[in-house]
Amino acid sequence: MSRAADGPPESPAPAAPGAVGGALAIEARTALGIDDLHRFDGLALHVRRGMGERPGERRFPGRAQASGVEVESYSAYTPGDDLRHLDWNAVGRLDTLVIRRFTAEREVLFHLLLDVSASMDAPPADGKLASARALTLALAYIGLAASDAVRVTCLGDTTTTSPVYRQRRSALAVARLLAGTEVGGRLALGAALEDYARRHGESGAAFVVSDFMTDPAEVERGVLALQARRFEVHLLHLIGASELDPAGSFTRGVLVDVETGALHPMTLTTAVAARYREVLEQHLAALRAVAERTRCSYSRYVAGSDLAAFVAGDLAAHGMVRRR
Amino acid sequence: MSGVGLLSFANPRGVVALAAVAVLVLLYLYDRRRRTIPVGTLFLWQQIPSPARERQRFRPEPLFWLQLLALTALIVALLRPVLEGAAPPPTGAPLVLVLDVSASMQAAESTGSRFAEARRRAAARIAALDPADDVLVITAGTRPTVALRWTNDRAVLRAALEGLSPDDTPTDLAPALELARGLAGERPGTRIAVFTDLAPEASGLDPAARARFDYVQIGRSDDNLAIAAVTVSAPPFHGPTDTTVTVDVRNYGRTTREVVLDARVGGAPWARRGLTIAPRATEHVLLTRPPASGVLQLDLASDDALAVDDHATAWIGPGAPLDLLLVTDSRELADTFGEIAAAIAGSRVEVMSRERFESAPPAGRRVALLDGFVPATVPLATNALYVAPPAGNAVCPSRGRREDAVVVDWDADHPALAGLGALQALSVTGASELDATEWGAPIVLAAAARSAFPLLIAGERNGRRTACLGAELGGPLASSDRVPLLLLTLATVRWLAEPFGPSALVVETGRPVLAGAGPTTPITGTGIEIVGEPPVVTAARAGIARLGPPGGERMVLANLFDDRESDIGRNDDGEWPATIQDAPVSPARRGRPLTLWVVAAALALLVVEWAAWRRTQVRR
Repeated sequence: MSRAADGPPESPAPAAPGAVGGALAIEARTALGIDDLHRFDGLALHVRRGMGERPGERRFPGRAQASGVEVESYSAYTPGDDLRHLDWNAVGRLDTLVIRRFTAEREVLFHLLLDVSASMDAPPADGKLASARALTLALAYIGLAASDAVRVTCLGDTTTTSPVYRQRRSALAVARLLAGTEVGGRLALGAALEDYARRHGESGAAFVVSDFMTDPAEVERGVLALQARRFEVHLLHLIGASELDPAGSFTRGVLVDVETGALHPMTLTTAVAARYREVLEQHLAALRAVAERTRCSYSRYVAGSDLAAFVAGDLAAHGMVRRR
Repeated sequence: MSGVGLLSFANPRGVVALAAVAVLVLLYLYDRRRRTIPVGTLFLWQQIPSPARERQRFRPEPLFWLQLLALTALIVALLRPVLEGAAPPPTGAPLVLVLDVSASMQAAESTGSRFAEARRRAAARIAALDPADDVLVITAGTRPTVALRWTNDRAVLRAALEGLSPDDTPTDLAPALELARGLAGERPGTRIAVFTDLAPEASGLDPAARARFDYVQIGRSDDNLAIAAVTVSAPPFHGPTDTTVTVDVRNYGRTTREVVLDARVGGAPWARRGLTIAPRATEHVLLTRPPASGVLQLDLASDDALAVDDHATAWIGPGAPLDLLLVTDSRELADTFGEIAAAIAGSRVEVMSRERFESAPPAGRRVALLDGFVPATVPLATNALYVAPPAGNAVCPSRGRREDAVVVDWDADHPALAGLGALQALSVTGASELDATEWGAPIVLAAAARSAFPLLIAGERNGRRTACLGAELGGPLASSDRVPLLLLTLATVRWLAEPFGPSALVVETGRPVLAGAGPTTPITGTGIEIVGEPPVVTAARAGIARLGPPGGERMVLANLFDDRESDIGRNDDGEWPATIQDAPVSPARRGRPLTLWVVAAALALLVVEWAAWRRTQVRR
């Protein structure tokens, strides 16, 4: 089943997130405790497009529909229209059958796409993977707490896709999924996103959490494929402290690419460090250029830094998160 | 027994002790505090040459050379050297050849195709062997195959190599290499040579395992355009002209390319689009209003290096109108379906009472909707939808009636639900609580108070498509509240009617797909394999094949949509000889043993090394 619901409607009320066993094990792998999720209460994921098919609480002005709460426009009656929505006052005044049209209220499906390739765990001391899991869990919780639908997919050697979650208590299931996903393997991000777009026709908003340590053209390829399927795309760039400043992690040695096994001997002199910063800046600028070209949002999060400040600050500034 | 000139070794397996030299070097390097640093990617670092290569160069001290000499002497002693009276006979080793036969090996290079180059190098390798040495040939496609068992007949080998050609399938090299290792284990000393266009890192084996293979990588060109995906969307009960097709065309090269995409349906021209595609970019081409139904053939007019992915096929169904036998005693339901038939051009709904159906069921290939009852027998050619089946029947077992159920889950990938996106809005006032069946799978689940149950079950029963719908169809189905239920019913009817119209099985090469009901004997086309029960189709060649007897035949449309195969560009090619090799077993031979002399030399070297070390300590 590709769209599993959270359970029958009469299921018991959600338990407090912190009162669940196994939370410590999850916390150890996500760098975010279940109790900490309450810090994100009151936030909601912001979306401009990505209207889904299922009725929900998000209003999409300009897409008038036959039923709803907020009247948006009127149209001439045509056979088949619901007679309950006839505007009798207008009928009395104009002697013409006029039907009320309402603002579309739809659910938005948030696709959280987490890169779990081997590069996300290198070097391990940076804790990129734990921070990526924590960020994904926080986004999932924000979406679920705002009654949005969330699907989490871990892109790696093998792709793991969750059912669609719709209840706040499902944050625990998301945390378990993230904690249970093993990192490893090589990932062609562009092809993986293209494949995802091909397999998931339901539109929505896609948050891509990755270290984007790949050719920016690959990233652009994936973003365009998602946008071709009417996804609103947000790029969340996880970067490690030693990627920003390698001087703290080594001075001389052989660099090993964890995904390909390729080697590159290196001595980190002052000139080399300066050149590395230049190359990194070019890479980051290329990623920003991809985001500008494709009109998607882009935000960078340094692994291990204050997650709550990043979510409520940076993501809000980039229009990905707003206050409810 | 192996040897050089008059010297031979009674224990050639001792050569593995040469690894101790590597240990010595590693210890030396460790002493220099060299270490490895894992990084996520090297592509940033590779733009920065290390300024300190001179200082990193391996310049050992004299003590190291003394230690190395002593160690080498000990290893030679372990080999038990023997001084022979005459030169030993020439020796060789059995050879296992692994040839990549995936689609990317068809890529053209300046010297011919990659596969032709691989075959040429493999033949050269065989020519360099001793005439008595056996050779075994394995091909690596989506699965490994032993193309030729052990033989030393060079004519047979040449014929076998000439008879091989690359398939249109993706590559899975690792199983072939594992098979080669397993078969090489039968004959100690066997060498394994791999000829592929994959880089060693992409072979699926770790570096330690790869060290046992002579690895030859072939090919450099990245000049390739491909049809990367084709998506066909057809609305139900509509004609083929309402079908839309999306074609993804990708440029895998590093230069901008211009290409023409040509689309034909059933041989008739449909569309022709000129495309300009940036390097490493994808163009999504939307085609609308096809002229007819039938086989859609897509061709890229390109002179790139790989031709197999320049063509694709898909199926545009004829979109038959609604043709339904409605068995019901409900006047209201009959009127509703009458209105539906009137609204869909060319549709036909024949209404029949239950009593009449049970006494004289109509013959012929039909889809029947049986409202609220399950007859004892259904004609063989009838695909039936049982609606609200009563409790106690054998086809759609149910546990009674439930009130106010809502749909909570559905299998969106099932073809019966293709195109439906509003099932979450479906609530039913009365429904039969269906039980799971052996013949079908629940594709829609509903929930009522304290339990969830299947609302729609679909599958094949006694060779016929069958479905059970728990919801009752009473009341005005055309009202806005019940439209989702009506759509679900019509979608199920469409799925039941599918086997009656012409259709085709669309597959990707190298990927097994269930054949489903129908003929399974290939009559035209090549590279189609059908095995197992239920039958599974695997296509080795892209293109069109036909199955079954004339008149009742159906088509298999096979395409290569594989990013890894189409992305043929490689950074480099080259050869990596094996660094770990099993020594061949050789019979013991008579001669003058030199082991004691070599041990004595090793001990003498150790003494010299110890003395030299002492002198360095005294200086410090």
